[in-house]
Amino acid sequence: MFQVIGGRSVQAARVLAPRSAVLVEAVRGRKSRTDPVAKSKVGRIKVPPPVDPVEMVVLKERYGEYQMIMRALRLEFKEEMLRKRYEEDTGSLAEERARQEAQEHRVLMDFNHLENQRMLKLRIVRVQMEKEETDRKKFEVILQREQEQQEIVKEKEKEILKLQEDAKNFITLENLDQRIEEALDNPKNYNFAIDKQGKVVKQTMLQ
Amino acid sequence: MPMKGRFPIRRTLEYLQKGDIVFKNRVKIMTVNYNTHGELSEGARKFVFFNIPQIQYKNQWVQVMMFKNMTPSPFLKFYLDDGEQVLVDVEGKDHKHISDHVRKIVGKTEEVLQAEAQAKMQESNPANFGPRKYCLRECICEVDGQVPCPGTIALPKEMTGKYRTMMAAAQEE
Repeated sequence: MFQVIGGRSVQAARVLAPRSAVLVEAVRGRKSRTDPVAKSKVGRIKVPPPVDPVEMVVLKERYGEYQMIMRALRLEFKEEMLRKRYEEDTGSLAEERARQEAQEHRVLMDFNHLENQRMLKLRIVRVQMEKEETDRKKFEVILQREQEQQEIVKEKEKEILKLQEDAKNFITLENLDQRIEEALDNPKNYNFAIDKQGKVVKQTMLQ
Repeated sequence: MPMKGRFPIRRTLEYLQKGDIVFKNRVKIMTVNYNTHGELSEGARKFVFFNIPQIQYKNQWVQVMMFKNMTPSPFLKFYLDDGEQVLVDVEGKDHKHISDHVRKIVGKTEEVLQAEAQAKMQESNPANFGPRKYCLRECICEVDGQVPCPGTIALPKEMTGKYRTMMAAAQEE
């Protein structure tokens, strides 16, 4: 907040200033550039606290030593940490460890590979069996269908034969008279009687 | 507070901490391909349902992805940081077998885990005082039975430095 001043304002201020001081003036702090100086501070010239040269020398020496020691200690510890980290990352032990890990990893990968191969074999066998199963089923279905078709054909043939046989008994224009004669000559009686025991009696009186 | 889901025990901290598969540092991504129907995928489905939460809890920095019904047979795939891919076929396996197999191939062994736990314990010495992040206590005034913090309760006059210098000065005169 305070700055050392030099120049024309110094002469006027020096008359009022205390003896050993370095001249300082106020620099803008809380107040803006348009604010006037406070009434109580109008002629004031601020001065830094007095310094004893002897004391200053002693203090400087002691502080210098102290800070040197502290800095040395800090760097010492930092270096220890860095060395430990370096040893861990790229030391001889680390290489051994890395090699060992790589080897173990290879072993485990081989084990996994074997396992996968085993599963592959099982799977091939299983898939084969399933394929055979589906093929067989398809075959069976086809057979079944063929059989059914054959049966249908046979039934149709049977019907045709039956029809052919029946055709012999049909009434045609040529048989018409003959059949009428026959029918008139042989009257057929379709009536029958049945008693409570279920005995059927076909011989009844024709009317 | 209602329980959510079919097996809400999977959401408890105790269950998650019981998980014992900790991946090696090289594993970065884990991928599970499985099917939602079918007898052969049953083990994989159970693995995903019960063991994946435990795995993700213990390996928070590993990306775990699940793919459904993309391939006819289920498998796991691990992507390591040097580009190597590890394929594990799990068709027809039981979820217990799958997790044992995974732990054997890609997980840290018991001894390694124990060594790590030991190292962690050694780093955190309870006798150290310092920031909360690294130590238990920051100042001796926090311990029961010790002098309370002079910031909150004023020290008795006889223990303050200025009183003592005053008495020493008075005695000298």
